[in-house]
Amino acid sequence: MKVTMISIPVRDQEKALKFYTEILGFLKKKDKPLEGGNRWLTLVSPEWQDGPELLLEPAPNHFEPSKVFQDALLEAGIPWTQFSVENVDAEYERLTKLGVEFSVKPSKMGTWKYAVFNDTCGNNIEIDEEL
Amino acid sequence: MTFYEKEIIRINGIIYSNQEQIETVIGVRSYIDNNSDTDLNLDLLSHLRFVSKFHLLRLFKKHYGLTPRQYLIDKRIEKSKEQLRIGMSVTETCFAVGFESVGSFSSLFKAKTGKSPSEFQKEQFSRCILNSES
Repeated sequence: MKVTMISIPVRDQEKALKFYTEILGFLKKKDKPLEGGNRWLTLVSPEWQDGPELLLEPAPNHFEPSKVFQDALLEAGIPWTQFSVENVDAEYERLTKLGVEFSVKPSKMGTWKYAVFNDTCGNNIEIDEEL
Repeated sequence: MTFYEKEIIRINGIIYSNQEQIETVIGVRSYIDNNSDTDLNLDLLSHLRFVSKFHLLRLFKKHYGLTPRQYLIDKRIEKSKEQLRIGMSVTETCFAVGFESVGSFSSLFKAKTGKSPSEFQKEQFSRCILNSES
């Protein structure tokens, strides 16, 4: 068994695609039409294109408990997932200039530096750097 | 302040109360990062930070989840991938990143990546050709 994918629930796949590619900088890998206007939509990191894929899935629109869970995490400030970056401070500067809203500014915890932003699709996302 | 922030602050206060220890392990990790191609050992690392070997071993494992030796091996394997990608031979790569025997480099590489260094290199080259053709 191999880890090849993580999924992120999103309310609007097209909006999520724009945010995750144009703002965050991921690349689109697969975009396959499914029924009812839904898509099998995956992204990869530009610097690790054969690495794990990020699946932007419209689960909250089709399964109420998924929506409830996502809302509760968002409300509590809990990140849905986290991405590793080279430099949290630099990434914070870059994303802030692009209008991304952070609920946690770059902070230190032990051997980690982290920050948390809103992905505009219903999730908090953490970026981190191991020190 | 969100629930998440409150929890982080609470946990931080419990598990990361000793700032001196944090600085010690961060210093050691960064030394390993910058000197991974040299002959590193626990004696040298512990002298750098004026702590006992066993204390350092425990601290490092506690904070990074790996022993300094395991961390060093991972670092060298990562660097060896870069060298193999740019076409350096397996033997040259082995010594350039700090391993002392090709046999142990090859078996560690295979254990960590699932492929031998030469298989990895061949795959990278064929990918380059595919990309340039498309």
